[in-house]
Amino acid sequence: MADTPMERLGDLTASTLTRRRLLINAGVLAGGAMLAGPLAACGTSSPNAAGGSPKRGGNFRLGVTGGGSGDIIDGQKIVTKPDQARLVAGFETLLEYDTNYKLQTTGLAESVTQDAPDKWTIKLKSGITFHNGKPLTSDDVIYSLQRISDPKQGLFGTAGLNSVDPNNIKKVDDRTVTLNLKQADSTIGDQLGQYYNGIVPVGYTRAGEQIGTGAYKVQSFTKGQQSVHVRNTNYWRSGLPYFDTVTIIDFPDVAAQVNALLSGQIDAMTDIPAAQINVVKSHSNLAILEGQGADWRPLCMAIDMPPFDDVKVRQAMRLIVDRNAMLQQVFSGHGRIANDLYSPFDPAYDSSLPQRHQDIAQAKSLLHSAGKDNLVVDLHTTDGAAGMVDSANIFASQAKAAGVTVNVHNDPNYYGDQYLKLAFSVDFWGTRNFLPQVANGSIPTAPYNECHWPPKDSNYISLYQDALKEVNASKRADIIHQMQKLEYDQGGYIIPMFNNLVDAYATKVGGFNNGSKATLNLDSFGHGYRSIYFTA
Amino acid sequence: MLERPGPAGGPARTGGIRLFILRRILQGLLVLVLVSIVVFAATQALPGDPARAILGRGATPASLAALRDQLHLNQPKVVQYLTWAGGLLHGDAGRSFAAQEPVSKLLGDRIVNTAFLLLVSGVISIPLSIFIGAYAALWRDRPFDVVTSLATLVFAALPEFVVGVALVVLFATTVFHFLPAITLIPPGGRPWDQPIAIILPTLTLVLAVTPYVVRIMRASMVEVLESDYVEMARLKGLPERIVLRRHALPNALGPTFQVIAINLAYLAGGVIVVEYIFNYAGIGGALRDAVFNRDLPVVQAIAMIIAGLYVALNLLADIATILVTPRLRTRL
Repeated sequence: MADTPMERLGDLTASTLTRRRLLINAGVLAGGAMLAGPLAACGTSSPNAAGGSPKRGGNFRLGVTGGGSGDIIDGQKIVTKPDQARLVAGFETLLEYDTNYKLQTTGLAESVTQDAPDKWTIKLKSGITFHNGKPLTSDDVIYSLQRISDPKQGLFGTAGLNSVDPNNIKKVDDRTVTLNLKQADSTIGDQLGQYYNGIVPVGYTRAGEQIGTGAYKVQSFTKGQQSVHVRNTNYWRSGLPYFDTVTIIDFPDVAAQVNALLSGQIDAMTDIPAAQINVVKSHSNLAILEGQGADWRPLCMAIDMPPFDDVKVRQAMRLIVDRNAMLQQVFSGHGRIANDLYSPFDPAYDSSLPQRHQDIAQAKSLLHSAGKDNLVVDLHTTDGAAGMVDSANIFASQAKAAGVTVNVHNDPNYYGDQYLKLAFSVDFWGTRNFLPQVANGSIPTAPYNECHWPPKDSNYISLYQDALKEVNASKRADIIHQMQKLEYDQGGYIIPMFNNLVDAYATKVGGFNNGSKATLNLDSFGHGYRSIYFTA
Repeated sequence: MLERPGPAGGPARTGGIRLFILRRILQGLLVLVLVSIVVFAATQALPGDPARAILGRGATPASLAALRDQLHLNQPKVVQYLTWAGGLLHGDAGRSFAAQEPVSKLLGDRIVNTAFLLLVSGVISIPLSIFIGAYAALWRDRPFDVVTSLATLVFAALPEFVVGVALVVLFATTVFHFLPAITLIPPGGRPWDQPIAIILPTLTLVLAVTPYVVRIMRASMVEVLESDYVEMARLKGLPERIVLRRHALPNALGPTFQVIAINLAYLAGGVIVVEYIFNYAGIGGALRDAVFNRDLPVVQAIAMIIAGLYVALNLLADIATILVTPRLRTRL
């Protein structure tokens, strides 16, 4: 489970693919599942009604929150949020998520099929070239997957491709590759659609030339300041993209970012603060773009450490949370309340489990029967992602009603020696589908198992292994429901809510999908800047 | 080498000034050495550990140990200090932890950008504040004096981020829309390529510094105007213009130079906030970023630059004060 240092940020917005959903959509239930085009390029969310037809040309100026001297450009890794915006300009994946969070063959692969539980085949589209004119072939795919699998590279995708045997990726012909896995894995399709698993040419290095297949190639890049990307004249999607150049500017201060948008110095910005939303709305030439994210900030109870080794205490803590109030206070209502379960976009997400609400009386009675009246606990948090500290403080104030004293520790050294060894802590995660998320956070071999899940006497792990082997999507969903039920009843996560991605843009830019389930800001940056344009 | 100062007007006077400057430069260097020790010690005391800040959630004990080793964080502090200070003497400020690039490469353009902003602000604010201060003293208790006194009091009380944000609201985003709200200097570009974009940051800095200098200039001028020698000059029948230019102004400037130096040095710190407001690509932004990332070599380099500026400005102020003050000049 080699994981990368900066996965925290990748995680904030990592998209989760649903291969299962894809298979269901494709009407494939068993055996050799196949994802094949042509499928609709976009989902059902509606493009913005800014009016005006697409106009060619122009310089699209995008302000991205954060960034600094740690900025990088790499087709398979990010450190800061502006890195995401830069990655998707130049690099593309084999499969893609649409705006409904369904995996589609709109990417570089014509088809991705699971021939056997432990064997996958990738077939590339023809006529795709890199920025330098070199055609995309099987060799590039093999190089890309081997690079992701190399733990020394410290890339985001490494953990997700853990089942891939890097020495057993075989070239069938120029456009066909087979992956022979070390063990059965039904999540490979999901992994191939993650934005950070971009396809790079043979011999690619971060220090070398930034060559990808994306709509824009890098012209200049200065860490902590800005990058300029010029249109890829060889782009394989005919007629696209529209802009001549895309300029991506770092903004350490969100107030400066808003001011730049208001004064017309940038055309779009990520992550508008809740307090500024109405300011933007009051300008007729600006608009808000809100995407349904599935990022989450769990409060994590380690199920093998007192007092949380008693399941009644865990249940009581989950009943203490007033989820609506917390969503209002932490994200000003821009999100949805959650039910202590992750991966809400997964087609196998069990929405039939009753929504948990605050129930102080029940919480008190559970604590009483556990012999934990007047419980005092320490809750550790840090400023690692928006909302982590607020969530902890609000939980502490809500817990008073149940007679629980929560001492919040905001510790800058949180991600260090103590991390993952704490009884009660706040963490953050991005969007993933259920099984990939389990691999990352809910089994003993996961890199970030804050809750030390599952309990020793549970059949959770064998269910997980069954699910990885199960090629039939609906049977797999049944297994996943059993796993979710275990976590719903006994788990260590308190997941109060999922927060939306709220961005702003000038209405002269067309082509953004509002309400998109794209997991990166600004409708995944206008799908790598290929579906957005200045209106005539 | 030591030259006894001669009588006033003798050749030893210039030698006296040279010697004085030499002595002050040596003192300045000593101050910088002491500052380097303090800066180094202070960065060691920053909460959080650079290796941990870089690794984030992936900070396993093994990767922490490996990175600390790579960054030489395991060496004794004294060795770390001597390596760093020795590098500075050769003009090598080390490598940034976060960017994995030489600090000089990371900061080169940013130093130019910040220096230009400070220079423009200084060139505007110094003559402006001397003029306003002197004029207010001359027209003491008249409307001009009353208005400027009130205005300087208000602006002196306002922190620069309030002034900066107010200027943005007024000229860029809400009331009027004719100035850019932020300064976008493309990499490789220079701030003077687009003068309109530096108006607001410059104005903010000018408004931050001018009030103090105006007030001290006014007070100093008022005192001088009431002095015996000015009265004497007037009684001698000298024209008021000459009285002011030859007798009053030079004597009032002495204390003002000291305040100007302190304020300009303060600007070097205040510029951090201003750069933040305007997304100006200078050392302020780099310092903020470096502190956040525990990028100690960058923090140390910027702290040394600002300390060097303090020392240099104070030296210049002392020299200027001596040159305009005959009493001091002749005493050397």
